[in-house]
Amino acid sequence: MERVLVNIPSNPIFERIVRASADELGQAIGLPPERVEDLKLAVSEAVNNAIDHGNRREAAKLVEVIFALDADKLEVRIRDEGEGTDRVDFSRKIVEEQNLDSGLHRGFGMYLISALVDDYEISSSQHGTVMTLRLYRKESSHE
Amino acid sequence: MSNEVIRREEFGDVAVLHILTTSVDTNSAVAIEATATATTMRPITVLDFANVAFINSAGISALLKFVVSSRKAGNKLFAMNVSPHHQKIFKMVEMSRFMPTIEERDLAAYR
Repeated sequence: MERVLVNIPSNPIFERIVRASADELGQAIGLPPERVEDLKLAVSEAVNNAIDHGNRREAAKLVEVIFALDADKLEVRIRDEGEGTDRVDFSRKIVEEQNLDSGLHRGFGMYLISALVDDYEISSSQHGTVMTLRLYRKESSHE
Repeated sequence: MSNEVIRREEFGDVAVLHILTTSVDTNSAVAIEATATATTMRPITVLDFANVAFINSAGISALLKFVVSSRKAGNKLFAMNVSPHHQKIFKMVEMSRFMPTIEERDLAAYR
């Protein structure tokens, strides 16, 4: 197994560095272009979630991202240094007419992650939250 | 260096808002939302995604400001030059219901 480790401060501008890494690694392992785009978006959402909700944008706290490649898959582990969370909502979120005027336009991120990767898991404790995303090299039934 | 994120073009009843940033994300969202709030909408407003390589959920939230503004004014909002990947994402969150895709050639009649 090969690993690439990226640590970023909790500033959204550095999410672009992780995203660029995901782009390069996705291409390097031969994912189809559309799957690379899925990977970039899922990683972006998970990292932004770690920055905003995990580390609450405290600059001193880091987001650790480990890309692990093996023969079958690319696994991305995103870890924050927050206080953990009881519940993460992966349910489907759509733009709803009744919410447009109220400005409630957030919450798509976790749904997009769940829909774009082959599988995912999350674990959380008082020491932080770890989200693990997996994309398999061979095309699965995922659409 | 210009920090302009959107360039406006007008003809007839149409305003085309060319998104200049390649990344519609957390970092560009504030500027996009500010533009949406400050922009005078036309009966037909078109967001041009030709330069956009990436959109995430924070970007979608920012783009929804244009949906809100256009609905309040009773105008129509369209998207053009949307990549197949972004069309898929818009469909997943049903953004495309509020901002359907239009082809650039369809605007020719208004020029």
